[in-house]
Amino acid sequence: MKLYKKEGNILQILSFLNENAEKGDYLLVEDPEAGKALIAQVIDVQFASIPGVLEELLRTLPDGGEPIQGEDIDPLEIAPHITYIQDASLLICKIRATLENEMLSPSSSWLPSRSLSNIKKLSIPMLLKLAKVEGKLPIILGGTKDSSLLTIDASSLDGRLNIITGKKETGKSYLSKLLMVSLIGYKATVVIFDLNGEYSSLGMTADGKRNMYYDKIHALTPSQNFKVALEQLHLNVVMGILIHALHLPGVSAREFRRIWKNLKEKGCLTLHELGEAIRNLNCNQQVRDALSSRYHALVNSGFFTDSPAEATLLEECLLKSKEQGGAMVINLRNTSTIDRQIVVEYVLGKLVDSLTSWKLKAVFLFAEEAHLYLRETYWDDIVTRMRHFGIFTTFITNQPDTVRESIYRQADNIFLFNFTNEHDLDVVSRASRVDAETVRSIARDLPPHHCLTLGKVVRDFPIVTRVRALDLKTMGETRLFFKDTN
Amino acid sequence: MIEQYTITTTPKYNFPQPTIDTTLPQRFLEQSLHSLKQVQRQPFQLNQHTFQQFRILEQRPSKLQLKRHPIPLKPNHQETIIAAVDTSTIKIGETSTGIIIAIRGATIWKQNRNYRYTRLGPFIFHITEENKNQVYSTLERAYFSTHYSSNRQATPHLLQMPTRLASLLERWLQTMLAKTVSQGLILFDGSLTSGTLDTPAQRMKEILSLARRNRSTVLAFSKMTSLRVNGYLITDHLPNHEPPYLLETTGLRFKPPIILLGDVYVARLNKANYAFRLDIDRETPLQHRMEAVEKLLGNDLYMQGYPETLRLAHILCTFTANEVLAMQHFITRKHGIQMINRPDMHKLLFGPFGKGEIYS
Repeated sequence: MKLYKKEGNILQILSFLNENAEKGDYLLVEDPEAGKALIAQVIDVQFASIPGVLEELLRTLPDGGEPIQGEDIDPLEIAPHITYIQDASLLICKIRATLENEMLSPSSSWLPSRSLSNIKKLSIPMLLKLAKVEGKLPIILGGTKDSSLLTIDASSLDGRLNIITGKKETGKSYLSKLLMVSLIGYKATVVIFDLNGEYSSLGMTADGKRNMYYDKIHALTPSQNFKVALEQLHLNVVMGILIHALHLPGVSAREFRRIWKNLKEKGCLTLHELGEAIRNLNCNQQVRDALSSRYHALVNSGFFTDSPAEATLLEECLLKSKEQGGAMVINLRNTSTIDRQIVVEYVLGKLVDSLTSWKLKAVFLFAEEAHLYLRETYWDDIVTRMRHFGIFTTFITNQPDTVRESIYRQADNIFLFNFTNEHDLDVVSRASRVDAETVRSIARDLPPHHCLTLGKVVRDFPIVTRVRALDLKTMGETRLFFKDTN
Repeated sequence: MIEQYTITTTPKYNFPQPTIDTTLPQRFLEQSLHSLKQVQRQPFQLNQHTFQQFRILEQRPSKLQLKRHPIPLKPNHQETIIAAVDTSTIKIGETSTGIIIAIRGATIWKQNRNYRYTRLGPFIFHITEENKNQVYSTLERAYFSTHYSSNRQATPHLLQMPTRLASLLERWLQTMLAKTVSQGLILFDGSLTSGTLDTPAQRMKEILSLARRNRSTVLAFSKMTSLRVNGYLITDHLPNHEPPYLLETTGLRFKPPIILLGDVYVARLNKANYAFRLDIDRETPLQHRMEAVEKLLGNDLYMQGYPETLRLAHILCTFTANEVLAMQHFITRKHGIQMINRPDMHKLLFGPFGKGEIYS
């Protein structure tokens, strides 16, 4: 390989067929005179502009598209040299760091010697060692192209905002499950908003046996095994549900607050009493109607109950997981949009309560297709306020434009799967920890189950990984009409 | 006696006709390898102005006339083999003592509506003032019997060596076609003018004779001509007549030792407004000549009025820039020649006005 050009932080390196460099590979451009080296990543592979190639190709097709038949008597065997030159490629590389005295710096301001520089491939283990991507809480994400393992540290997810995105069926849920069970393994508390009911079986192996996480997975299905007694509810949580999920106007909210306090003081805070209180409320008819409709929405959700025996204490599950680690899988499958919002409001409110009162240290929240249940104001809340409480969110989506731009800007880690759509790539490339060229070039060519990991977990050295397989029962498969006929 | 070198030929070095005398290409290979051995450990200067070298060799004759009435032609579709030959040479660099050149030849056949080719080469030579005599005489003797050597004039100038060596290869390829093509048409690039340094008359006569013996006709097309009538190039002096046709010339004479082995015509073979000088073997009866051109019209394709078979021969032997790079790579890798890139003095001194020197 030979250094050809440097423009800004882009290197162009001439490479030959036997050198076999591909997109995503890391190269070390060592300048022995300068005593330092550039670490650059291949983000695109192009044909080198070799003079005469067009003529060469044209003369093989002179006869209406049919290759002319013949024999080349080439006693000096020049033909392999022609192929060698013709197949030369130009590697477009992004400079990631400068290596000097075994220390990395993000500088790309110096120019290595074109004639003296040695260029060689930098293996991922060596890169990870140089970048010090190591820690006491390893999570093996999967294998890299050079058959080494990409291991990140669980603490690099701690206090971070993460995004897992890619088009459908590329392996996003796979990775999120891997991260979840790894975090649980390190006794972390994980809450999952499970839109398609695919995380409930994380405690089972693929053949239906219990695995090591079985006791730590708490699958909560609203209105089935996940109900809340009004008594257990804090007024703030209820008000959150009414205002944000059910859009209760301010005047009506004030009336509701009064009713709630009265009932609480009387010690008769039940659904029935609440309904009666609203019905008998001496106020404007419109206010009463507004309260009444919200009341019926709460009742119809089936999420609320008067029976404490029926109620599931989320707080208890959270406390239990605080000791041994565990995941609360909130199964939002078969839940209507309104009910979903009610449940999410409740869970988030409860989490904030528990974290504010230090009943919980921190929670890793996994939110799949969050735009379907997260209210507008929560986006900013999650990345700013809630982070300070200790809610560290991972958004999982196949529609990157549904996640707000501010989330991308503040994302610490991005796990990017294949995207072919330019618009999707544009959205993702707004993240401050990635450069648009890398995202556009590498993500487009990622095979299924291959993920480009960007951000703090890899110390800003984007690495392509094949996400390792887990022996977990998958529930996220699409139901097919023709499945049995094939 | 010239020292014989032991050359292990590659498996590819199998010439298509086992009956054909392959002494000349074998000597080409031997001389190529031997000359390259001599260049080892010498610095090698890349050629700054790579160019293809072609021969334009015409002397102005006297009393040339162009008949005013065209000979109309009618395509004859009777299946006929058409074969063509062309060679190319290129300078690919310089050393402190000489030049490094490459030579390649190509023959094309058109039969049953399909084109087939054989390409021979490239042969790469390191030519110096010291070895040029030996290289040239060895190659000349290899195929052409020694009595030509006695007629041989002074060994060519170093810069003429590429074209002279290419001519040797071209004559050999023409001979092979003349020997092997039966009842066909053999197309040469250039004229049938001989008696020049690289086209001895006897050699050309033998080629034509071989072709006649195999009942083939040689048609030589010149892409460029300097022959003029009343001050106009003969190929510009076209009558208002529906093509295809031939215009006959008369009175064409050259000063000895240059002789014409063909009769010269101007051929306009299709509606494209291009005509070419066409030399047809003088020994071929007039009727056969017209038949030959009509068979060519009926069996080959024409791009700008030029036979496709000959065009392909030219295209296939021409060196592309990519091939020049590959040969430079070969020389460096196989023969350990160190590449240097001296500043181009023309560019250095004259900037954008420095076009570099061109040899012919």
